[in-house]
Amino acid sequence: MSMLRVLKIVFAVAAMTFLLAPLVAILPLAFTSSVFLNYPVPGYSTRWFAELFTADVWRRAIINSLVIGLGVTVLATVLGTLAAVGLRERRLPFSGVLRTAFLLPMVVPAVVLGVGMQLLFVRMGLANSYLGVIFAHSVIAVPFVFVNVSAALQGVDTRVERAAASLGASPITTFRRVTLPLATPGIVSGAVFAFATSLDEVILTLFVAGPNQRTLARQMFSTIRENISPAIAAAAFLFIVGTILAATIVMLVRWKSAQRRAA
Amino acid sequence: MRIAAGKRLAAFCLVAPLVVFLVLFFVWPLATMMSNAVSSPGAVQALPQTGEVLADWDRTSPPTADMQAALVEDLRAIEDDQTVGDITRQLNSAKSGFRTLMAKTVSAVREDTGPIDLVAIDKRWSQVPFWQAIAAATASPYTDRNLLAAVDLARSPTGEIVSLPDTRSANLAILQRTFVIAAGTTLACMLIGYPYAMVAASCTGWKRQAMLAAVLLPLWTSLLVRTAAWFILLQDSGLINRMLQALGIIDTPLALLFNRTGVIIAMTHVLLPFMVLPIFSVLIAIPSNLMPAAASLGANPLRAFWRVLLPLSLRGVVSGSLLVFMTSIGYYITPALIGGPTDQMISSVIAFYATGTANWGMAGALGIVLLVATIALYVVYDRLSSSEGQRA
Amino acid sequence: MTQPYIRFDKVTKAYGDFIVVEDLYLDIAKGEFVSLLGPSGSGKTTILMMLAGFEPPTRGAVIVDEKRIDQLPPHRRNMGVVFQSYALFPHMTVADNVAFPLEMRGVPKANRKQLVDRALDMVQLGTMADRKPSQLSGGQQQRVALARALVFEPAVVLMDEPLGALDKQLREQMQLDIRDLHKRLGLTIIFVTHDQSEALTMSDRIAVFNKGRIEQIGTPNEIYDHPTTRFVADFIGETNLLDGAIETSDANGLIVALPGNKRIRVAAGSGEATGAAVTVSLRPEKIRLNSDAGSENSLPVTILDSVYHGDHLRMVLDAQGTRLIAKADRRFGDLQPGSKAIASFDAADCWLVRS
Repeated sequence: MSMLRVLKIVFAVAAMTFLLAPLVAILPLAFTSSVFLNYPVPGYSTRWFAELFTADVWRRAIINSLVIGLGVTVLATVLGTLAAVGLRERRLPFSGVLRTAFLLPMVVPAVVLGVGMQLLFVRMGLANSYLGVIFAHSVIAVPFVFVNVSAALQGVDTRVERAAASLGASPITTFRRVTLPLATPGIVSGAVFAFATSLDEVILTLFVAGPNQRTLARQMFSTIRENISPAIAAAAFLFIVGTILAATIVMLVRWKSAQRRAA
Repeated sequence: MRIAAGKRLAAFCLVAPLVVFLVLFFVWPLATMMSNAVSSPGAVQALPQTGEVLADWDRTSPPTADMQAALVEDLRAIEDDQTVGDITRQLNSAKSGFRTLMAKTVSAVREDTGPIDLVAIDKRWSQVPFWQAIAAATASPYTDRNLLAAVDLARSPTGEIVSLPDTRSANLAILQRTFVIAAGTTLACMLIGYPYAMVAASCTGWKRQAMLAAVLLPLWTSLLVRTAAWFILLQDSGLINRMLQALGIIDTPLALLFNRTGVIIAMTHVLLPFMVLPIFSVLIAIPSNLMPAAASLGANPLRAFWRVLLPLSLRGVVSGSLLVFMTSIGYYITPALIGGPTDQMISSVIAFYATGTANWGMAGALGIVLLVATIALYVVYDRLSSSEGQRA
Repeated sequence: MTQPYIRFDKVTKAYGDFIVVEDLYLDIAKGEFVSLLGPSGSGKTTILMMLAGFEPPTRGAVIVDEKRIDQLPPHRRNMGVVFQSYALFPHMTVADNVAFPLEMRGVPKANRKQLVDRALDMVQLGTMADRKPSQLSGGQQQRVALARALVFEPAVVLMDEPLGALDKQLREQMQLDIRDLHKRLGLTIIFVTHDQSEALTMSDRIAVFNKGRIEQIGTPNEIYDHPTTRFVADFIGETNLLDGAIETSDANGLIVALPGNKRIRVAAGSGEATGAAVTVSLRPEKIRLNSDAGSENSLPVTILDSVYHGDHLRMVLDAQGTRLIAKADRRFGDLQPGSKAIASFDAADCWLVRS
């Protein structure tokens, strides 16, 4: 084996360790019996999961996250999908500008947006409300839906839609029977991303949510900041398992549609 | 043509909801933040006559009776103490002494309904600087005070832009720190990301898939979880220090948490995918026979890399670097949790002004600085990636 | 003359300043098989799309069965379209694909099944009904597309390069199959292709397009043997184009002077003025080498190159400064480059074309 090859392997393994080790290292700590987040783990128990699901702050936070995440998923998926479908019409004026504009919420620093939202939401009467948090999260979740659905729609052969029209399907029927089913993988990935975005959102939540809308991410943030406990590792464990699950769904959906297109 | 018009209308109706939503909850908040940064609250609306008279004043000659009379009229017209308090606070922040001066003056003005000689109430009303402060505050509904302060500048009483004294200037240092941390993160990402992308692109089959999965999995994992993981790993009694001690490399734990090393390590981990993925996508688009071709033409591997692979992959490196840098300068969570007090970046300062002291003007002004920097970087990035698309 | 079934009346299609189809007049009778032939970008697909309703004409009228259909949306035109690369619905089975147009027309479920089965049997795919398109070969997908476009018995069938993606053998088989269906079902078919041999094999009439205009329209025979323009002569098959000037004309035809002091007799094309510059088209297979049969025209030539093509030899000849391509019998294989020969051809095989 040449020197270069050894170097390559060593580097690749080291870099992959750097990338994955933190995620792996936190998993066993979720099951520690100690109150400290340290290795070696003195004994294993599920007390921190129990804490997560029974302690009032954590349980409320989990419920809040699910309620808000669901709202965001529905709102962002509907808005993003409609816009992506509309922007397929290239003759729409400013479609290029809109395309770029719809991605901007991904770019603008969350703190900047948060300051503006806090000021405005107080005036609108949306401060410290579930609706306010859902709106705030949807703003940054919508680009993910838009990007995913746009990409899926781009993959739909316009000739297939024309074929449907030539066979007697009205535009609405064509959309419902042909375009939508073919874009479903993109919509599903978009929805998964929207939910994940909401679940992980801290900064906007800090600015617009009241104590009643404290989400899981927000609760984790203050726990790390104020008094770190292994409940964090338990929550992280759920997050990582959830991520792998969501990634599997997205991959599976994409793989299936790729297989279908391979024709 | 009728069909086309109908299609356009339908398309418009589909796009409109998102446009309205983003105008309401994205554009409007940003506009609110900006207007807060540049609007000068209170004084102008509350002191209309004074403002009119002071507009003609040269700001250096002694105060006139007209100016006094206008101020008295305005103060009499104000009925609620809230407004008085707002004006006082605003003026006092420009020139100290207004607190007592206003209290004295307002009560005197309210007691007596006839003409009043303000100088008789307080001698300070004969001094030019106090009138200068009122003139500056009432000159326009807009002020550049916050924007200037965001970069450690201020207006002198006569209206020139000057640097703030060292004791009151902190923002430039924070901006500089933000850029240093972002640059450090970008550099670290580049040093790890480029070779990583190169190795991944040179592999095939499951090895490449594994290397990509190792990048994608962290990318999809919650930012909080990754930050929490680093928090745990970097502690004095964390896994890294334990291992180094067990290996006998160090005796006492390295300080990794609550300092810049930790911040850069964690941010590099978080942002590495944004560097690897653009470089990787550029690298795999390069025909695989170019390097053998260069070798057959007599270039040794290093020269072949330097003359062929690097120039061709430079666009990926620039895209990745812009993406990482742009994201870094707005980072809040990681420095807030992993960094110490001297590692807080501009976002933390904005959050402090907004939630800590309710100084919306300053929060807005710093927000504008961050927003402008981010958008500028994004425009460059967007140009670069769209010209890439045209070439493909 | 009977009223045509389909009529393009002075139809123009432009994208901004760019004119794709210009002042098109085209009549198609019921039951006719018409090919639109031309290089890519000649506007033939645009014409098909205007007929199908996907592109509105900029000016002019499209008339089907004595009704203007310009403003009718595609789904109400009742035309079967076979698209380039088939455009099958990837998420539906073969049977569902074929049943789709019936469903759109409100055919009851029970009848649908029967019609679908019949259509699939017609294209010999009865056993594939439950497969997804991705599980079929290219040729099979093509047949599904055909069955789908025919199952609802449309008034007109439009085909946009339907055989382009198939390999040569399969393509030739499908050409015959489509031709057969056309005859059996009495369909009106408009067929877009850039493959001249395909058009010659299948069509009742061919319209040759160039730059958005019809260069010539006629039966395959007319188009091949009597091209009227230089473009058609060149695009359909291979030909020699000889530029010269009319020297004299008499009752039997013309004498055309070619560069290098050569004269050839051309049978048709009287009425041209003496001295006019003309182009003569002469098909390579009409040139005979060292023939005993008497011909009106014979030129001494030098063989420049001779290439073996299996059933014939393709020869490049030099007739005192004029290059000629000839398809010669294999028995001339011993004529080496550099050797001399006599090339002869009939006046009736020389054809005047417009530039």
